[in-house]
Amino acid sequence: MLVAMTTDDVAGARGAAQPGLYEIWVRGHLGELMQSAFPALQVQTRRGDTVLTGVLTDRAALHGVLAEIEALGLELLEVRRLPPR
Amino acid sequence: MTTVNERVVGAADTVAGQPTFRRGPARPTVVPRPGLWERLGQSTRVTMVSAPPGSGKTVLLRSWISAAGVTERAAWVPVARDEHDPQRFWLSVLAGLRQTSAGSALVRTVTAAPDLDEWSIVERLLTDLASLDQRLWLVIDDLHELRSEQARRQLELLILRAPAELRFVLATRHDVRLGLHRLRLEGELTEIRADDLRFSPAEARELLAGAGVELTGPVLTVLLGRTEGWAAGLRLAALSLAGHPDPQRFAVEFSGSERTVAEYLLAEVLDRQSVQVRRLLLRTSVLERVNGELADLLSGGSGGEAVLQDLEEANAFVVSLDPARSWFRYHHLFAGLLQLELRRTEPGEVTKLHELAAGWLAGHGYPVEAIRHAQAARDWRLATTLLADHWPGLHVSGQDATVHALMAGFPVGVRAGDAELAALAAVDQLAAGSLQAGERYLELAEREAASVPAGRRGQTQVLLAVARLHLVGQGGDQRARAEEARRLLAVAETSEAAQPGWAEELRAYALVQLGDAETWTGRVDLAEPHLEQAMALARRIGRPYLEFTALTFRAEIELNRRLPRAEELSRQAVELAERHGWTEDLFMGFASMTLGSALTWQGRLDEAEDWVQRAEFTFRAESNPAAAMGGYYVRGQLELARGRGADALAAFRAAERLAGPHPLARPLRAWLVYALASLGEAGQVEHVLAGLSDRDRGRGEMRIADAVLALARDDPRAATMALAPVFDDSARVGWRSWLAEAFLLEAVARDALGDPGAAGRALEQALDLAEPDGTLMWFLLHPASGLLERQARQRTAHAALIAEILDLLGGPRGNGRRASTRERDGLGGLPTRLMEPLSTSELRVLRYLPTHLSAPEIAGELSVSTSTVKTHMRNLYAKLGAHRRAEAIERARALGLLAPSARPR
Repeated sequence: MLVAMTTDDVAGARGAAQPGLYEIWVRGHLGELMQSAFPALQVQTRRGDTVLTGVLTDRAALHGVLAEIEALGLELLEVRRLPPR
Repeated sequence: MTTVNERVVGAADTVAGQPTFRRGPARPTVVPRPGLWERLGQSTRVTMVSAPPGSGKTVLLRSWISAAGVTERAAWVPVARDEHDPQRFWLSVLAGLRQTSAGSALVRTVTAAPDLDEWSIVERLLTDLASLDQRLWLVIDDLHELRSEQARRQLELLILRAPAELRFVLATRHDVRLGLHRLRLEGELTEIRADDLRFSPAEARELLAGAGVELTGPVLTVLLGRTEGWAAGLRLAALSLAGHPDPQRFAVEFSGSERTVAEYLLAEVLDRQSVQVRRLLLRTSVLERVNGELADLLSGGSGGEAVLQDLEEANAFVVSLDPARSWFRYHHLFAGLLQLELRRTEPGEVTKLHELAAGWLAGHGYPVEAIRHAQAARDWRLATTLLADHWPGLHVSGQDATVHALMAGFPVGVRAGDAELAALAAVDQLAAGSLQAGERYLELAEREAASVPAGRRGQTQVLLAVARLHLVGQGGDQRARAEEARRLLAVAETSEAAQPGWAEELRAYALVQLGDAETWTGRVDLAEPHLEQAMALARRIGRPYLEFTALTFRAEIELNRRLPRAEELSRQAVELAERHGWTEDLFMGFASMTLGSALTWQGRLDEAEDWVQRAEFTFRAESNPAAAMGGYYVRGQLELARGRGADALAAFRAAERLAGPHPLARPLRAWLVYALASLGEAGQVEHVLAGLSDRDRGRGEMRIADAVLALARDDPRAATMALAPVFDDSARVGWRSWLAEAFLLEAVARDALGDPGAAGRALEQALDLAEPDGTLMWFLLHPASGLLERQARQRTAHAALIAEILDLLGGPRGNGRRASTRERDGLGGLPTRLMEPLSTSELRVLRYLPTHLSAPEIAGELSVSTSTVKTHMRNLYAKLGAHRRAEAIERARALGLLAPSARPR
């Protein structure tokens, strides 16, 4: 799998407990059904893949989203924590 | 990923020219995958099948088992969804192994019980499997669902120490952290991953043919390209295409769609179902498992069972869970997609469906699933009611960890705001050993108890009584404990209190606690019938664990009455524990302690040693101060009987630190005095006695201790004066047995004062008291060989007893009169070096093993957590090949890892 985790931001202790803005890339185009699995995130299609964007309260919330991606058989491409705006 | 894509498409092209395919034989068809079967069959010690959902892991493993003809030799163990309960997991492993032909002969059952130690289940299993001489596979499916870190570490231990004939096949959605690097290095780990599981064009063709789908080359190529050989995608496609009027059009649309494969195909599959089937699939997707009745209830239709069976036959992601094909579950991925679809199309229905499911499951004896659904419906009241009603049953069947996981399913605010739930939380926290949190919830629940609706008060009172009983049991105040046990007994007997059926469990539990508390408050007359009642009740309702605990306490009573009976009953308790696999349980510790004590008092010191060690081992793993105190107490007596005063003193001192208000605290003082006197430390004795109140000093035990001191000072006159109030009953002794000691000391004193007649009479009385039970302990503590020899020559009714005592006294003192079992057996099987070196932290813990410190105490010394110390201890035992602490010490010494024993041997 082409998972490029920016581990520094995801697993690092730094800022782990604070909410963060995340961008999660999933392979392919998520239809209405799959999109409904991520009600808290904004869904966009870019270059044929899907980007889920939104604020996640903490690491547990992030792992919840990742678990959902796994459970639905989706292919995770990248997880990125965006700098605060 | 792109490389895979190209490989599959490229390969498909080569077969594209082939014509249509024959239909497979009987349904449901499984595509033979000989290449993968071979890899499974040649199996290295561990085969890890690690791939995302829908990759066809389960189908592969099942088909391999049946194709290889190893059904009788493969244990199939699916991990339950979100499994937090290590006990439940291990019991399912044992059950799976016992279904195999080799396993049914070798693997002993373990009966579920509260506080079972899963590490010892694994140890027991390893012992059972040691003689395995034929290939046996343990296939664990959905390993990723095993959420208990402890259970995963236990599995790791099992894998690393299992006999070579036991092979592990582990299927998981994602890599699970197991410390298997060594196996990997040794080439004993095979991995089958997502890429390996992809269907080749030939396999895909066969799969479709099995579903009756005949495709022309280009359509197949599209299908393979789009699904990339992903099993779930192909199976969904097969379902969509079965009887499809225009496969060509299907292929064009599929390849043109941007949506993910699963999503696109699910919609196709659902579109092709009848309204009834579609409704059933969507509505039952909220269930962990489904049967016909539940399906009808949730879909509001009928004939659900037949629909489910049809779906299974059509290979439609539905599998039956029992041979009768009445329970089914959906493939995880399929269920997940259906749930999304349900939420999207009928969002208002989801809660209602969970409520319906909760009601049905609760009414049909599936409380745990019912509670999960009630929680999913956010019906906290219903979830609380169910949990409260079923708590006794879940507890006695060893599901405390499941209860704990269910408690976590309530939001924190709800937990603190509902009196009944707070009472449950108190019980849960106390069972998990968190006394402070337990106490906090208990206070909260007691404060809010009045607000509980009338119909629920009884149940709340039951939980509160259980929590309070647990709490006072930790403290050691036996009067308070008896009081709480009586309260629980009273609430358990009121009709509205307990869920029908559980009242008797609660009654038996309360009687056990009451009986033991009565024993310790000196009301043996009450304790005996209560414990007898508890035993009879437990037997009648088929609760062997309650019977075991009652029997253990019943044996303790006899320790102060009839030693042979104490021995007999505690042996019965031990036997019960062994039959059910509870040999590391706290109560096994109590039973071992009683047995060790009964043997010590009868002068059978070497036999006693084994049992006292067993008790100590069990107690060290526990954080129960009263138990640990008992262990030190008996250890001290044993050492004193052997003439090892310093060891005895150390043990009694350790007991003293833990004694608190325990009823043994008073006799413990006397034992401290004996130990000090035997070491010639009269000065310290004064220190011990100085702290006593006049009332305590006047008690029989302390008068006797005074006499011991006086004799140590060569002051027989003072000894007789100290003893006088014991004989005229103005200074009572707690237990009758101590009178024998008083008479023995009197005999020694009178003899020293030059009155052989009085000495002989006193000695005869001591022997009278000792004879019926063979209580030889006092004669070992206060050796009076000369007196006894003279008595034997004169008129005595106890010649045989005297001969036995003299025989014991004549042996080399402090050396254990006969070689112990351990010494006899030698250390023949001892490794001369370790297979796996000890880590630095393990070595640090090892140094503490020969001390009397418990695991929590060692943890305190090393500033680490108790569980860390316990882990190191487990690893140490494993690496040293030892089952007990003493054994580990011995082996470590033999290996030069520890200094040789300082004790005289």
